[in-house]
Amino acid sequence: MAFAGRAPEAWWGSRLLKLLHTADWQIGKLFGQFDRDEAALLADARFKAVERLARLAGERAVDLVLVAGDVFDAQGVADRTIHRLFNAMSGFSGRWVLLPGNHDAALAESVWTRALRLQAVPANVSLCLSPEPLLFDALGVAILPAPLTQRNTFNDLSEWFAGAETPSGMLRIGLAHGSVRGILAEAIDSANPIAAGRAEQAGLDYLALGDWHGTRQVDTRTWYSGTPETDRFRANQSGQALLVELAEPGALPVVTPLATGRHRWRTDTLSLQVASDIELALLHISELATDDVVQLSFSGQTDLAGQRRLRAAIGQAAGRVLSLLADFSALRLEPTADDIDALQADGYLGEVIDELRAQQQGDAADIARDALTLLAGILGDRRAESVAGGGA
Amino acid sequence: MKLTRIRIEQFRQFRQALEISDLDAGINLFTGPNEAGKSTIVAALRAAFFERHRSGSVDDFRPWGDTSASPSVEVDFTVGDRQYRLTKTFLNRKRCELQAGSRRLDGAEAEDHLASLLGFRYAGRGASAAEHWGIPGLLWIQQGSAQEVRDSVTHATDHLRSALNESLGEVASSGGDEVITTVEAARNELLTPSKASPRGQYAEAIEREAALSSEVDTIDAEIAGYRQKVDTLGALRREHTADENEKPWLRFRRECQAAIDRLAAIERIQETQASEKLRATQIDGRIELLRGQLDGFASQRDAAEGRAAALEKARQALSASAALVAQWLAKRVETSARHEAAREALRLARLDDTRHSLTRQLDESRLKTESAAAALAKAESEQAALLERQRLAAAAEISTADLETLREQHRQIRELQIRQAAAATRLRFELAEGRHIEIGNDSLSGSGERLLLEATAIELPGFGRLEIAPGGTDLAQLGRQESEVSDRHAALLQRLGLPSLKDAEARQQTYAERLGELKTSTATLKALAPRGVDALRSELAGQQARVGEMEAALRQLPSAVGGTIPLLPVAEAEAAEAAAGKSLTQINDSLHQAQLAAANAQTACEAAEREVASARAILDSPDRARREATANRELVDARAEQSTLSARLEALRKQVSEARPEILRQDIERFRKSAEQHEKAFSERRDTLLRLEVELQAAGAQGLEERRAELARDLAQAQRRAQELRRRAKALDHLLQLLRDKRRVLTSKLQAPLQKHLNRYLQLLFPQASLEIDENLSPGPLTRRGAGGSESGAFEALSFGAREQMGVISRLAYADLLQEAGRPTLLILDDALVHSDDERLAQMKRVLFDAATRHQVLLFSCHPANWRDLGVGARSLEALRATV
Repeated sequence: MAFAGRAPEAWWGSRLLKLLHTADWQIGKLFGQFDRDEAALLADARFKAVERLARLAGERAVDLVLVAGDVFDAQGVADRTIHRLFNAMSGFSGRWVLLPGNHDAALAESVWTRALRLQAVPANVSLCLSPEPLLFDALGVAILPAPLTQRNTFNDLSEWFAGAETPSGMLRIGLAHGSVRGILAEAIDSANPIAAGRAEQAGLDYLALGDWHGTRQVDTRTWYSGTPETDRFRANQSGQALLVELAEPGALPVVTPLATGRHRWRTDTLSLQVASDIELALLHISELATDDVVQLSFSGQTDLAGQRRLRAAIGQAAGRVLSLLADFSALRLEPTADDIDALQADGYLGEVIDELRAQQQGDAADIARDALTLLAGILGDRRAESVAGGGA
Repeated sequence: MKLTRIRIEQFRQFRQALEISDLDAGINLFTGPNEAGKSTIVAALRAAFFERHRSGSVDDFRPWGDTSASPSVEVDFTVGDRQYRLTKTFLNRKRCELQAGSRRLDGAEAEDHLASLLGFRYAGRGASAAEHWGIPGLLWIQQGSAQEVRDSVTHATDHLRSALNESLGEVASSGGDEVITTVEAARNELLTPSKASPRGQYAEAIEREAALSSEVDTIDAEIAGYRQKVDTLGALRREHTADENEKPWLRFRRECQAAIDRLAAIERIQETQASEKLRATQIDGRIELLRGQLDGFASQRDAAEGRAAALEKARQALSASAALVAQWLAKRVETSARHEAAREALRLARLDDTRHSLTRQLDESRLKTESAAAALAKAESEQAALLERQRLAAAAEISTADLETLREQHRQIRELQIRQAAAATRLRFELAEGRHIEIGNDSLSGSGERLLLEATAIELPGFGRLEIAPGGTDLAQLGRQESEVSDRHAALLQRLGLPSLKDAEARQQTYAERLGELKTSTATLKALAPRGVDALRSELAGQQARVGEMEAALRQLPSAVGGTIPLLPVAEAEAAEAAAGKSLTQINDSLHQAQLAAANAQTACEAAEREVASARAILDSPDRARREATANRELVDARAEQSTLSARLEALRKQVSEARPEILRQDIERFRKSAEQHEKAFSERRDTLLRLEVELQAAGAQGLEERRAELARDLAQAQRRAQELRRRAKALDHLLQLLRDKRRVLTSKLQAPLQKHLNRYLQLLFPQASLEIDENLSPGPLTRRGAGGSESGAFEALSFGAREQMGVISRLAYADLLQEAGRPTLLILDDALVHSDDERLAQMKRVLFDAATRHQVLLFSCHPANWRDLGVGARSLEALRATV
């Protein structure tokens, strides 16, 4: 193999190479499942994350920042978005190496060709639009990129790494975007495969991967950095970048995850079984932080008063946290006798409430619960009016 | 509730007080004609209960024109065991007082107590109206409104419900209907009332969702198109690069050139081939010419021989035809002689014939001349006789008229003479012998008698003379007449030349005879000379002339030839002459033809001689042999060259056909086109690439996918909103349904007792019928058993009369229901049931009587007769007014 006879003395300068490995920025993502304002904040957070990465690269004095694909969320982002991204990167004046992923593949006409045409790409940013080694003599690093040139491919684009010659003594660092075969769930972007053990087989000192949004180590030289800013629920270990330190060719990399994310995405399920569970749930809600993106699901049952308190607490929290989605679909309403007395539901109204309570067990439980909530609301309003009227 | 006494004063038509007391606990029947005041009593009762005494809207209570009046009504009644007295005065002296048992209430307090007791409301302002009247409004049937039960029930529903709730011991929900109204309003904001289809915000949300969805679809299609173009661009670029490297058209160009070169070589060979071919053609032509030349020489020889033979033949023909002419000439001489003889024989025969015939004709003509002369002689003598007879006849001619005239005259004279004689003086004399007398010129002697017709002088010779004058005029007259006639007679006879009538008669006889002779003579002449004597005469002359001519002709004929040759008959001679002439003509013709043939043969012979001479001349020309030899030599040379050329040409043809120039041409075309095709494809692709790049750059700048993401975000929001509203709509719909169901169940519980009471009355009116009660406790459809099974009809669809009856029994049922709930009841029927027929009215009376066992009933009617069998006495309003 070309790199087999590499002599250690050819490694000029035994200086430690530091690089920042990140991926899956998904610039231009809009988060449609959220309300407009929340979505705008989350879209903005993508740029903020890049700014933080730039800052972090400067602080850590890294030699190189590798972005392993999916820089943009889509090919068809606005020109403004392109400019804005490269502006966000300006905080680090060192070398950036950007790899196209499946979302921003290096097609004949792509977000990259547009960026070049717009002259938005600064000189310190290298775009890996074709599978050929990228040599940084000053750093003693050869980057072997495997850019996607189609949206999806079922070929292993990193195949060529093994046959690629690089000057002896240079570090060989692979840069790829896809699924390492055999270790990740089949469902996740199973197109764009990468053979397991590619780093060792191709004599790579480090293989920087993208596509998987959580940080993950594949083998001693192969890592997914994950996305620097979480963009979905159920993405474990996301919101990080990897600081990779390489002492010399052949040496094992030292990889340190660095927190870069600002928003916590959490899905919490609160089960209400006994009366005191309400208090716990209220406490949980009160503890939600400003940057949190929260999905709350409730199960079990509660009386009308409990439901009212929950709703009030969620209303307050929603004003505080970035996003709060509450799902009451599994929570049964069980008005107590006191509730009904309080609502002054006499005569057939009482019968209606009983019927709706019973129906919560049936097929149309959602409708029954909604109807019951509505009726309770109407009766509550009436009582409030009559109390107000009586007091006047 | 039972009224016991009513007192009305200064109220409308009751200026004076009217008091009705001792009211019965059951039916009270008030009768009176129109305007008697029945309705005023009812109005007064309504005023006492429904109108506030302070009301300013009750001016119409005053008697007409009495502004100072204070209408007042006083009513005594019991409810349960408690005695009440209500005294109310309006307008000028507003007052209200209610004595309830030992308790006494005044003003508004009294009025409110009443309203609560009876179940009605007061009007907020203005006069009390139907919606305030509650239960009394239902039970107190106004004139002409018994059939209008639904509104009355609606106005009484709340009072009925609360009354019924108490009796049922159920809670009907204090605010259920309000909740239903609220829920219904909220639901109807989202769903249409009838079909539950989305409306308002909900419909808008769904529309927005659909609109956004279609926008997303549109932009998806755009993105797909964009991506397609990007892929196309990539593919085209790869192809373009490959083409730029390979330049495939160059190969085709080279191939094309090679083919062109090969084709040019072949074409040169083809040119050689063509020139050789031309040469071969020329040699062929030359051979042809030489052959012609040699053939010419040969044919000249043949011609000379042929012409000599022809000359010989012509000569033979000539001698043969000359012989023929000689033969024909000899024959002609012979035949001419024969013909001449035949002609002479014919001439003689004809001459003889002519003479014979002339002689015969002459004889005939002479005979004819003789007979004509004889006939003429006879005719002439006959004619002379005729002329004589004619003369004689003419001499004897006398006309019949003249004869008749003569006869008449003669008769007249006779008659006149007779008459004269009769009248005349008869003179008889007898004279002595010798003595004579002269009378007139007559000398008479002897004896005789004479009639003297006129004065006659008689000379008596010697004696003198006697004058005897016959007497009378007649005689003179007659004498005159007689002389006159005699004169005429004489004149006529004279003219006729006759002496007397007798002669005339004779002459007439003669004339007749002569006329007969004349006739016979004429007939004879006619027979002799039918055309006249002159014709006979000219005929004779003609015949004589003919005879002369014939004699002359005969004389001119030559005398008969000596009779040695027997003469042939003419016909035979003619036939012989014609036959001889004919054969002469034929021989002449044949001779002529033979002569013609001989002449022709002569000519032919001469021509043949000339031709022979000229052919000989050609053959004998001096350089002919040399020329023929030259031609023979040249032909041999040309044949040798021809065969060489042919071999060369075959070799060339083979060369060309192996090279296949047409295929070469196709190759050139194919390579050229291939090259052009590739070049064209290359340049077109380059153009397409440019176009695509521009398009994609433009499309890319639009940020399609970012826009799609924005739209998708908006769509997701719209979907969430629609979903929320859907859930809310479903929940509200469900809730409303449930509320209504529950309320309906409750209502049906309330309906049951009412239904029971209603059926009780209904069975009296329509056995086996049933009347449904709706949720508002109003009468619904009536089901009756008819002829065709049970039939059902809405309350409003019943006849006016039936509705009125239903209205009354419904009210009775409400009264029963209220009574069971312990509420006061009083029924007032103002002129109700006027539209019922006798049969139904009879049933209604049973119904009313039955009801009256439980309720007090005030019944006002202007038809007292209708109610006689109600079992109560009628109170006449007139009587009531009179008692006051």
